[in-house]
Amino acid sequence: MRLKLISCEVLYREMCACVARSPHQIDIEFLPKGLHDLGGARMRGRLQEVVDSTDPSVHETILMGYALCGNGLAGLTARTVPIVLPRAHDCIALLMGSRHKYQQYFDENPGVFFRSTGWLERGKGLIPLSRRQTGVDTKLEELIEKYGEENGRYLFEELNNYQSHYRQMTYIRTGLEADGSFEDRAREEATQRGWTYASMDGDMTLFRRFINGDWGEADFLTVPPAHRVVVRYDDSIIGVEPA
Amino acid sequence: MPELQGLYDAVVNGDQKAAVRLTKEGLDAGVEPMELLSSYMIPAMDEVGRRFECEDYFVPELLLAARAMKGAMELIRPLLTASGAQPAGRVAIGTVKGDLHDIGKNLVASMLEGGGFDVLDLGADVAPEKFVDAVENKKVDLICLSALLTVTMPSMRTTIEALERAGVRDKVKVIVGGAPVTEQFAKDIRADGYGENANSAVALARKLVMAARAA
Repeated sequence: MRLKLISCEVLYREMCACVARSPHQIDIEFLPKGLHDLGGARMRGRLQEVVDSTDPSVHETILMGYALCGNGLAGLTARTVPIVLPRAHDCIALLMGSRHKYQQYFDENPGVFFRSTGWLERGKGLIPLSRRQTGVDTKLEELIEKYGEENGRYLFEELNNYQSHYRQMTYIRTGLEADGSFEDRAREEATQRGWTYASMDGDMTLFRRFINGDWGEADFLTVPPAHRVVVRYDDSIIGVEPA
Repeated sequence: MPELQGLYDAVVNGDQKAAVRLTKEGLDAGVEPMELLSSYMIPAMDEVGRRFECEDYFVPELLLAARAMKGAMELIRPLLTASGAQPAGRVAIGTVKGDLHDIGKNLVASMLEGGGFDVLDLGADVAPEKFVDAVENKKVDLICLSALLTVTMPSMRTTIEALERAGVRDKVKVIVGGAPVTEQFAKDIRADGYGENANSAVALARKLVMAARAA
């Protein structure tokens, strides 16, 4: 089969590693991680454009290297080429190899921030638009310049306050790392923020199955032509309906 | 007579110092607190909401306007209370269990305070029992639930179920909001409404509380 993979850059290394060993021929288009910060509707709009640019005479299936991603995939429509995507809330579930394992970890470890290779090396300085909208992650100096000394400091405090609720940084090791430098960076970031540091072994199974065409219904959703992705508020996470 | 249009501008521009100063000047000059609120401050917040809807304003501008409003309200609220004026309603607000994100929740809380509501902020990662307690012991008219993650959206459902189990669901209105939350989800979990953003949440809160009081 010749497939088109449209993926978030945060999964760059995982996708590339699996594509290299896939029985299929796969063309990859990575998109900026910053799309997530645009909000669900705009993110979907951009993803739909890329989906719609697929040539049905070349690719027989589109793989979306995403999860539900804050409803960014909700409403995505397959025109003439079917779409396959994993059933998951976000990429952390993919990196852990199971949405159930993720849910369990999430429930047992409140206040955890996750890191992986992609979360450390991707998505910096690509789409500043998001900052304009939410202000999150904007530097203190920039806020002061735009809103004045007093208001700037207040905003910096308010917009970064959420970080004070986090207590732990967990690095998810996929085994693709060339050395310990990613873990070192994650540990250093944890120290800087005053969080505890933990690491865990990820699981590449979902990536491999996704790229190799093992799309069992329990873990993947296939969207037939003229259908769209809908959110299901249960364990299946996503489903389809006629577009 | 002070130039009260300046109060409107101060809220719209998120200038807390000016908002507080002009409110004080207005009160000193004998302007009724209710007049300051309904003729200048609430219209200003409406304008802020309008600018947000058409993307002239973003979250930082909303936060600053809400802060200016809050500063002015601190002078006005005691006077309103003393004059026997009822708050627009009592609200308990929180980010649901498992979710630690509170920027949106804080923003809605500030906007509700600005809108004359008495707000009980329960914080983030709030267990369903705490919302039940707010209805049973704090006499709130409205509960606002926030979630940023689709992973934690089920906690909204469990919170509403906890209210049902405690037999207090019909004593309170529940509205939900947050980036991944939708109107359909609100219906599915039997919430009374969905606020797409902080601005519409306040309008919805007013509508629901008024309807409940009229009933």
